[in-house]
Amino acid sequence: MSRSSRWIAVGLGASCVAPVLYLVALSIAGPWPYPDLLPRDVRFDRWTALLSGDHDLLGSALTSVTLASAVGLLSAVLGLFIARAVASHPYRRGLTLTAHLPLAISPVILGVCLLYFLIRLDLAATLAGVMLSHLVFALAFAVVFWLPFWNAEKRAYEDLVRTLGGGTRDFYARVVFPLTRGPFVICFFQTFLISWFQYGLTVLVGSGKVRTLPLEVYEYVAEANLGYAAVASCLLVLPPVLLGWLNLRIARRLS
Amino acid sequence: MNLAPDAFLRVEGLEKRFAGEAVLHAVTFDLAEGRVLSVIGRSGCGKTTLLRIIAGLVAGDAGSIHRRGLDITGLPAEQRGIVYLYQEPLLFPHLTVFENVAFGLRLRGMTSPEIDTRVTRMLESLDLLEHRDKAPSRISGGQRQRVSFGRALILAPSLLLLDEPFSSLDTDTRAQMQQLFKRVAAEYAITAIFVTHDLKEALLLGDRIATLRGGRLHTYPTKADFIADPEAGVAEEIAFWSALGAPSSDPDAA
Repeated sequence: MSRSSRWIAVGLGASCVAPVLYLVALSIAGPWPYPDLLPRDVRFDRWTALLSGDHDLLGSALTSVTLASAVGLLSAVLGLFIARAVASHPYRRGLTLTAHLPLAISPVILGVCLLYFLIRLDLAATLAGVMLSHLVFALAFAVVFWLPFWNAEKRAYEDLVRTLGGGTRDFYARVVFPLTRGPFVICFFQTFLISWFQYGLTVLVGSGKVRTLPLEVYEYVAEANLGYAAVASCLLVLPPVLLGWLNLRIARRLS
Repeated sequence: MNLAPDAFLRVEGLEKRFAGEAVLHAVTFDLAEGRVLSVIGRSGCGKTTLLRIIAGLVAGDAGSIHRRGLDITGLPAEQRGIVYLYQEPLLFPHLTVFENVAFGLRLRGMTSPEIDTRVTRMLESLDLLEHRDKAPSRISGGQRQRVSFGRALILAPSLLLLDEPFSSLDTDTRAQMQQLFKRVAAEYAITAIFVTHDLKEALLLGDRIATLRGGRLHTYPTKADFIADPEAGVAEEIAFWSALGAPSSDPDAA
C-alpha cells in the first residue's frame, strides 16, 4: 500500500470512529464548558441509571432490536421468494418498477398512505402496526436486492435439479439456501438498518406509543439533554457497528 | 412415419407454439435402446424446446411421449429418469467436484459409503479423481463438462438429452469430449438424443441422424441417406474441404 493510500485509509477510518468516540465521551462527560478541550470530570450515572432501569432507554432499545430484527428477517426471507415470483412473471419489468415505488417516496408519505389501512385494521399505535409499516419499506428494498439473484442460471439450476430427480424443496435446500447464505446476511443487515433508523414511520404509525431508540434520541435532543441523547445514540450506533463488522467479514470471505 | 412398436422411446405428433408461432409441428420419431440420435438444426429451430418437452421441463401443446411403452407425457420431470445436459456444465459452485457428481445420489437418499464408492469409480473413469476436492471454479472448462457428464451418468438415466454440450469448448477440448462421449456411451449403453448444429459432430456421435427445419423433424433411415440428402449440406461441406485439399489449377502457384 502506498503512503497516500495509507493516509486515505487512516483518514476514512478516523472519520468513522471519531463520531462514535465523541458520543461515548459525551455520554460520560460531566460539565464541559466552552472552550475546554476535555470535560472537567467524568460521570457514569447516566449509564448506571440506564442499567438500573430508571429510564425507558433499555425498553426502547429492546423494542428497536425486536422490531429491526423481525423486519430484517422477514424482509430477507420474503424478499427472496417474492423476487423469484417477480423474476419469472411475464410482467417482470412493470412489477420491478412497482417494487421500487416505496423506495422512491418519502417514508412519511408512505406512512400517511398506510395509516388509514392500519387504523381500519386496528393496528395503529401498536408494535405490529409499526412493524408492518417498516416491512412495506424494507420488503421493497429486499425484493430489489434479490431480483438479480433469480437470473437464467438459477432457473437452469432448478430444471437441472428436477431432471436429476429432485423437487422444489431439494432445489431450495441444496442449492438456493447454500448459495444465498452470504447475500442473506447482507440483505438482513441492510433491511435491519432501514428499520433500525426509521423515525418518520414510527412516529406516524406508532403515535408516540411505540418507543424506539431514534424517538428517544430526538426527544433528548429536543430537551437539550445532550448527555442522555449521547447515551441513547451509543445504543443506537452499537448494533449497526457490530452488524457492519460482520457484513465486512462476509463480503471479504465471498470476494 | 412408421414407428417401431417396441421402440425404447416413441414421440408422436408433438406440437408446440410460442406466442402463436409454431416451434414444433407434428414431431414424430422413435429411438431404440442404447442408441444415440443426433438432431441437427439451426439456432432457434426448436431443438432445445424438443429436448425440454421430452425432459418434462416444458409441456407440449399436443402429442405423446412413450418410454418402453409407458406414456410419460404428463409425468413430472423429476419422475422421468431423463437427465438433461446443458450447453454450460452448470456445476453447483458451492459444492466440490465430488459433491457435484454425488448430487443426484444424495437426492435418492443413498448411504454415504455407497456414494463414496460409486462417485470415486465415476471420477476415476472420467480421469478426475485428483480434482475430487476442488471447487468448480478451480478446474478447466473441459474438466467441468466431464464433471457434468459424471453427475448425469452416475444416475444411469434411462435417457440422456444433450443440448449442444460441447459448443462452448475450444476445438481440442471439444474433440476430446466427443471421444469421451463415444467411449462412455458404448460403455454404459446410453440411449441419448444429441442436439448440435455441427454436421461432423452429429455424424461422429449419432447412430441415427435427424434434422429439424421449420419445426418439422426428419429422421434419416441411415447415415448414408443423410449424407446423400442435398438439403443436409454434407455434400457442400465435403466439396469445400476437398477443394481446399485439391492441387491448385493456378499455373502460377507451381
